[in-house]
Amino acid sequence: RLPSRPPHSWRGKMEGGKAYSDGVFAHLEMLEARAREAAVKQEEMEQQEEKLARLKARVQELRLQRDELRAKVELQEKGQLGKGGVVSDPAQPSARAVLEWKIKSVKATLQVFYLTGISGKLTKRGVCFCISTAYEGTYLDSYCLDLLIKPEVRIHRHSVPVFIPLEQIAKKYLQTDIRRFLSVLSDHLNAYAGRRYQADQLQEHFSDQIEGTLQRNSLCNLLIFNYNVSSKSQTFLLRVRLLYGDLCCSLPTEVVVSCAPDAPASLAEMAAAHSDLFRRTALHKAFRSFGSADKS
Amino acid sequence: MDETVAEYIRRTVLKIPRDEIKPMLQKWGFLSEAQLQTINFHQLKDNISQDVVQLCEENSADIKQAAVLDIIYNHTYPNKRVWSVYQMNKTGEEMDFFDLTDFKKKIKRQLRSALKNVTITFREYEDNAIWIRIAWGTPYTKPNQYKTSYVVYHSQTPYVFISASMLKSNLPLLCQALVVASNYHDIREMELRSHSLNSLKDIVFKRYSQNFQTYYPKPLQERDVAPESDLRIIQENKNEKERIERVNREIFGDGPQPKLEFAQYKLETMFKSDPKRDVLDKKEPFRCLVKFSSPHLLESLKSLAPAGMADAPLSPLLTCIPQKARNYFKIREKKGLFPGSFVSP
Repeated sequence: RLPSRPPHSWRGKMEGGKAYSDGVFAHLEMLEARAREAAVKQEEMEQQEEKLARLKARVQELRLQRDELRAKVELQEKGQLGKGGVVSDPAQPSARAVLEWKIKSVKATLQVFYLTGISGKLTKRGVCFCISTAYEGTYLDSYCLDLLIKPEVRIHRHSVPVFIPLEQIAKKYLQTDIRRFLSVLSDHLNAYAGRRYQADQLQEHFSDQIEGTLQRNSLCNLLIFNYNVSSKSQTFLLRVRLLYGDLCCSLPTEVVVSCAPDAPASLAEMAAAHSDLFRRTALHKAFRSFGSADKS
Repeated sequence: MDETVAEYIRRTVLKIPRDEIKPMLQKWGFLSEAQLQTINFHQLKDNISQDVVQLCEENSADIKQAAVLDIIYNHTYPNKRVWSVYQMNKTGEEMDFFDLTDFKKKIKRQLRSALKNVTITFREYEDNAIWIRIAWGTPYTKPNQYKTSYVVYHSQTPYVFISASMLKSNLPLLCQALVVASNYHDIREMELRSHSLNSLKDIVFKRYSQNFQTYYPKPLQERDVAPESDLRIIQENKNEKERIERVNREIFGDGPQPKLEFAQYKLETMFKSDPKRDVLDKKEPFRCLVKFSSPHLLESLKSLAPAGMADAPLSPLLTCIPQKARNYFKIREKKGLFPGSFVSP
């Protein structure tokens, strides 16, 4: 409680010394008034702050409620679609549905071919396939193809060697049967890798038996060379021409082993035997068997 | 031995850097090891070449052997010449067995039937590359051994690499011979030229690194991660930097780029200005030539965005160079609803 005005007597005394009481008491009054005002303001402020805090808390509460309600609504909406299925008219497949079907079938293709050395990955605009090659347990190079799906299936870029007839294979199968396209291409690449591997192995491990240069070409589908054989402690020269007529095959379709016209008859027999062997076995394995045959 | 042959051998040896002379002569195989031992390879090159000529005299070298030495030199230093790429087409689907002996015979027959005075030399290399050296003469003069053409051909491919420093009149004859010998139907010059033969091969044979998104496990590359230099330094633009790196890698791949020295764009486009300010009275296309040159053009393009000199991704006109296998472009107005520009084939 603020002090009220001074009692009458006091006032009287003040009125006695008027000039003096005006100065000090007026000053005091003024200070009192100020203090009162300040106190009132303080109270008001505190009340306001309390109010603000209460309101803020209320806002938080309301927001939480709103979020909860929103989540509930979304869940309900999703739930409805799940039960109901596609809302659009099922009679006419939309472009989106067609695309989704395409992607689905491509995914199925990926799963089927993963184990056969063909793997793929969906990209932004299509699919990227990777064909791995191997020959009899040895992993060789991999080749990739970047395919675009729309507006039609086509090859965007690739790392297939230029001598593999990729365009021909694509023209035949790419639009109609992707699986067949990949399968045929994989056959070509694997066969090429196998032929090259055999020729490389031959040059690496049996170079001492080869006379002169081994004539080969990019596809490794024609090999011509001379090699020496020993028979009855004499060395003779045989000339062989291996033609791989089937690009999807790593064994030759045509083998001609010839010897000098004045060579003994036994050599001609050996040539025939070798010719048969080359038709059935891998080149480097055939040479390996010659080596062991010699030793025996 | 013919004077001209001796002079030719002498000049060829002079071209070879000192340290490579002995190895190259050994590759040549015309002089025996014993003969090579007699040469002092530390003396002046002038004297070395004289010694070599002397020995060749003893072995009676003729122009055929000298030509082989020239092929070996050019195969070792192919970047001294400018190579153009030619593409052949065939309509049939017959499989080609490519017999090398057959090929050589056909080339010789084609060239010699048209031109009697011509020196043709072949040399095959491990990567199935066939090098052909041709020195051209005229019906009245002997072949000029100093103005030779080189052809590099990989069997069963439609691409031929030609470095011609010869009379233009002989080019059709050469092209015809190549088409016939390799069992194709026609040949055309591509818009692709460079000093680096191997880079041209990389581009057309698709041997350069293209970033394919596959599940094929790539060996983890030891990427040089720069150590955090000072933790007080904060990279404000880290996100943008990483985005640029990623986009760059997607476009250019991880490996080294093929080496090209320039890309040339011939523009024939209309000047587009504010229609109110009609700058040109006549609506004619602007003709202008833009040429980018660099010791290694594609690597420098690859470093533009990370260096902050260009936005990533770069214009496809620049980044399509290896994929389109061309570094000469003609850009014209697109005729149609949308005025733009398109690249002519």
